[in-house]
Amino acid sequence: MTLTVALSKGKLLAGATDLFRRAGVPFPDEPGRRLVVDHDGLRFLFVKDADVPTYVEYGVADCGIAGRDVLLEAGSDVYEPLDLGFGRCRLVVARPRDARGDPRSSALRVATRYPRVATSYFLERGVSVAVVRLAGSVELAPGLGLADCIVDVVETGGTLEANGLVAVEDIAVSSARFIVNRASYHARREDVAALMGRLREAVR
Amino acid sequence: MSDAHRLVQVPRGVQCFVGDEVRQRRAIEDIATGVFLGWDYEEIIPPLFDYADVFSTPGLAAQTYSFVDRDGNVLALRPDFTSLLAKIAAGRLAHRAAPIRLFYSGEVLRYEPPRAGRHDELFQMGLEHLGGERAGADAEVVAVAAECLEALGVRDGVVALGHVAVFNALVDAAGIDPAARPALRDRVDAKDASGVAAALAGSTAAPATEALIALTSLAGGVSVLDRAEEAVRAVPAAAAAVGELRTLVDALVAAGLGERIAVDLGEVRGLDYYTGLVFRIFAPGLGFEVGSGGRYDGLLARFGRPLPAVGFMLGLDRVALLLERQGAVPAAAPAAAEVVGSLSGACQRRRAGARVRFVPEKGRR
Repeated sequence: MTLTVALSKGKLLAGATDLFRRAGVPFPDEPGRRLVVDHDGLRFLFVKDADVPTYVEYGVADCGIAGRDVLLEAGSDVYEPLDLGFGRCRLVVARPRDARGDPRSSALRVATRYPRVATSYFLERGVSVAVVRLAGSVELAPGLGLADCIVDVVETGGTLEANGLVAVEDIAVSSARFIVNRASYHARREDVAALMGRLREAVR
Repeated sequence: MSDAHRLVQVPRGVQCFVGDEVRQRRAIEDIATGVFLGWDYEEIIPPLFDYADVFSTPGLAAQTYSFVDRDGNVLALRPDFTSLLAKIAAGRLAHRAAPIRLFYSGEVLRYEPPRAGRHDELFQMGLEHLGGERAGADAEVVAVAAECLEALGVRDGVVALGHVAVFNALVDAAGIDPAARPALRDRVDAKDASGVAAALAGSTAAPATEALIALTSLAGGVSVLDRAEEAVRAVPAAAAAVGELRTLVDALVAAGLGERIAVDLGEVRGLDYYTGLVFRIFAPGLGFEVGSGGRYDGLLARFGRPLPAVGFMLGLDRVALLLERQGAVPAAAPAAAEVVGSLSGACQRRRAGARVRFVPEKGRR
């Protein structure tokens, strides 16, 4: 039986491709529009970022590569045995550079693509929060009066800067993780361990 | 708007089975309970609800469907069987000498957030071994679980064994602040070595912290125990727990069950409940465990009869899904019924053991 690997079509794809090449693991040259690619003993699923943990949790894929930010938001019940090092970013609270006063005001309005992370981050700190869920361009929200601040990932800080925002609190550091389905880890341990071993070598 | 939609729509979380599905589930139930009976476990049909206080398993309290009776008592629909069986063993069966072997097969009700393989209504088949000598009872229960997999025709099933005292002893030895333990446990559970290292930042008890990081990779075949003995040597309580697992694994291997056994020292779920052995049952084709079990020596004391105890259960819904995914042959459909036109004829054929469909002559088209 072949192992099924779920990969993101998004920003982690380049890093994943590079990693598989360095590890000497067969990897399709150009998936193009195909979403399922059988290649040299492995089956690859190319799916949306946020869906990778879901495919792996349900066991449709045995393993996959997902950002820690996505895993935190999904709260998926999967193993995360390898930090792959690429796709590094920070999950932060950012607000307008000229905002005054306590950033943790009462009835804080937060715009984010990470409603679960944002809600628990503020509630755990005793701040009641109204989360405005957006699918992208979150940096616009404070300037337009949709929210007081945002929770989002930052790589270089350039986008925040360009939109007059500044990171005020770090929530988590994120990077790409190799994730494994709980049943596959045990019931297909030889195949999983072989792939994980090669990736681990390549990460070093 | 009228409420008529309620007569059509089903409430969230409920299940309904018809025909072939029922036949397949009954076949699975018969096989599993046949194995339980074969090991001399006695069937028990506990009540569907009891006082809510009975079900105090950590984590389950928030998931129970509870209601108030006319006298103001808070009652709950059973969210699991184990608490009920413990209560019955301590109360109604108080006169019975230990060990007591009991099994059950039936529904539990839990309020479950939608997640892989979970419904509000779950059908569980399981057993409890109460008051037996610990090492022997642990080995017996794992052997019964492994036999169930064989009997059900599950391909490549694995029982992954762990021990709660490994993690507990290591966090004690590392001097981890109780408030910091849940975050650490979450990372050990995810087998995230870098996350464990980050959660341990500041702990200076080197051998224990190194062993905690090592827990994330101490999972696999039986040989994992060799590495585990080495990793936890500096912490006696953890070493003792690994020693208990070694004894168990040796007994299972000697019984010819080595193929069905795996070791997972990073198994840290259910720490508030289990007191020794913990295990989960996996098989290729289903992304989540088919069943689980462990030792819970603290539970029966709550009901006034302190007895050690170990048990396990299989989720019938999950076994059914697993067998379907593994392409198992479904239970054979029964032969077509004989059509009989008179009631007396139908009764006669029934007495002869035939399967009949009674279609009165007059009504025949």
